[in-house]
Amino acid sequence: MKLLTHEIGSLAKPPWLVKTSAGTPLDASDVEHARTWGTKLGVDDYEELVETLERGNPDKAELGRWASRYGLRLLESAGIEVVYDGEQQRTEMYAWAVEHSDGFAPRGTVRSFDNKYYSKSAVTAEPSLREPYHNDEFTFLQSVANHDLKIPVTGAYTIAVWSYDEHFAPQSGRIGAGHGRSEELAARREFANDLARNVIRPNLESLIELGAKWIQIDEPGASTEADELDIFVESFNESVEGLDCFFSTHLCFSDYDLFFPAIEQMHGCKQFCVGFANYDTRELGTSGAKRPGYEVISKFRDLPYEPILGLGVLDIHTDFVESPELVRDRILYATEVFGDPERIHVCPDCGLRTRSWEVAYEKLRNMVEGTKLAEEALATAGATT
Amino acid sequence: MKAFVPGIYPRSEQLVQATRDLDRGRTSQEAVDEQVERDLAEFVSVQQEAGLDLLTDGMLRWQDLFRPLLEASEGLETGALTRFLDTNTFYRAPHATTATPKLGGSLDERYVAPLPGPRLVTLPSPFALSRGTGVPALTIAQNVLKPALEAVDADLVVLAEPFFGRAKGAAPSELDEPLAALAGGPRLALQLTFCDARDALEQGLGELPVDAIGIDFYGTHLSDVPKGFGKLLLAGVIDARSSTLEDPRELASFAERLHDEREVEQLALVPNGDLQFVSERIAREKLLRLGAAKTATVEAAA
Repeated sequence: MKLLTHEIGSLAKPPWLVKTSAGTPLDASDVEHARTWGTKLGVDDYEELVETLERGNPDKAELGRWASRYGLRLLESAGIEVVYDGEQQRTEMYAWAVEHSDGFAPRGTVRSFDNKYYSKSAVTAEPSLREPYHNDEFTFLQSVANHDLKIPVTGAYTIAVWSYDEHFAPQSGRIGAGHGRSEELAARREFANDLARNVIRPNLESLIELGAKWIQIDEPGASTEADELDIFVESFNESVEGLDCFFSTHLCFSDYDLFFPAIEQMHGCKQFCVGFANYDTRELGTSGAKRPGYEVISKFRDLPYEPILGLGVLDIHTDFVESPELVRDRILYATEVFGDPERIHVCPDCGLRTRSWEVAYEKLRNMVEGTKLAEEALATAGATT
Repeated sequence: MKAFVPGIYPRSEQLVQATRDLDRGRTSQEAVDEQVERDLAEFVSVQQEAGLDLLTDGMLRWQDLFRPLLEASEGLETGALTRFLDTNTFYRAPHATTATPKLGGSLDERYVAPLPGPRLVTLPSPFALSRGTGVPALTIAQNVLKPALEAVDADLVVLAEPFFGRAKGAAPSELDEPLAALAGGPRLALQLTFCDARDALEQGLGELPVDAIGIDFYGTHLSDVPKGFGKLLLAGVIDARSSTLEDPRELASFAERLHDEREVEQLALVPNGDLQFVSERIAREKLLRLGAAKTATVEAAA
């Protein structure tokens, strides 16, 4: 029995990339970072990067590609089977999408949580794609990856719900008017579907033409509004319908019960990768009582089109490193609930960009090790039944 | 007619960068503290320029509405990272480890900063702080919020309540005892943020034992305010979740309608929730327009 492991999306950017992007001078510690991690991860020709950093005044785009190599190798050397580059060349999952689309204007920085923030824009006109914005990155990664690639693409609904609306929604006469929710819903539906048709779908078509086999539509904002889940589903279907590719969706940090029954209509989604570890205990055990964070997975099991579940087993909001045994038990609980291990993939809850590379690497290595332990346990159980 | 800005105010781009750098080990806590002081001074200056009646510190060090109280309490701790309503901002949900949590020490100057004038302090309402903990709101009020209030020197304490207006089946009477337990100190306001308050108003929200009630007028229709509303009404007329800048004339006109059509005699113009859901640049402009609306309303009345 083989359980596929994959990443979700972002990793932290290395300091030599962050500083160069910000116009901050590099120091010896940055060069040492490149050398240490280049050695540790076995990055081909990393000495060239070290020389570039030592020379000073490096080219930002060139450093972006180096960061992609490092991100890719970090995941590959941790043993992850389906990988990407930790989105090293993107500014951020939302900002990258709107920066490369027309119809948006930046509106500053807003807190995500604690000392984490994101740039937020407003839609000010009908959105459209300026140019496919993942092609260069994907083409480069195809040339250097040793493992299979899965491309994360921010979904239409998340872009819509993370944006201010200065175009589709009424802009005046709102105070004390008790605008019905129906007006807001109509505006959001139009916005999300415009994005799906005019921004996301052309990107997907372009990636498929370049050879993409697996595209992950990231929708961390999907459950933001409980009464808009049909809009999320509609925009997903609008984005992928009729396209020939393995499409998955990433959901995280939500009340997952809200998704049912709306996602019963997402027939084009072959896999849901979902964060659960954030809600789970750290105790070992494979009973439901020990795995409260995973209680909802039976609902994914029962979806009529029988998607695979990408099982989030790493809490990405903490430096706590899950032991292989804890990962194993989370997987074994899920395989027991599903009754079919082939419908389980193993992944982190979400992108690991808020963790240091040291922590992310240890977590991912343990995830791979825990997956092996689960495979062994399943094999042993299979042999004895 | 009054105007002020309860809740968490956004951090400047400089403070955003400083805190990011702190998390990445690229700057010191002292450097962040200095930037917080600069942000606070600027925020106070903008409030004064806008002519606001009570000053606030913007809760610049609060990571979310609950965190400092959880950290200062015995028997309460931070739980799962949880989405705040329908925003892309998250908070650590309160988690109780005992049935009778209590405040271990008062909030210090990091969380209630000294200000050069009459002030307003924002705290979570007992309903919000107890939500999901299994601890009754009355216990939270008596053991956590009451001691916190007693240590606060403020002209008005706004109890922010983001959940009640959205809670199915919740009746204002549930808040009666917990709010009564908080009486006897500073004047109290209960502000229902980011919601349609119609049902709560129909069920007697205005009768609760507080001095003021806050309503979001981007969710609530003007006509839902009972005629002759007898308390200070904190009218949420600045949409803290929208980047669109309000027209001060429209705000002033709405204030007049509250007076003329609903016979509201005591009115304060406020945002409909924390301004931290827009960037500091936009929040500052909204704040100035709030002040301009107040000035226009006062001048029109004169």
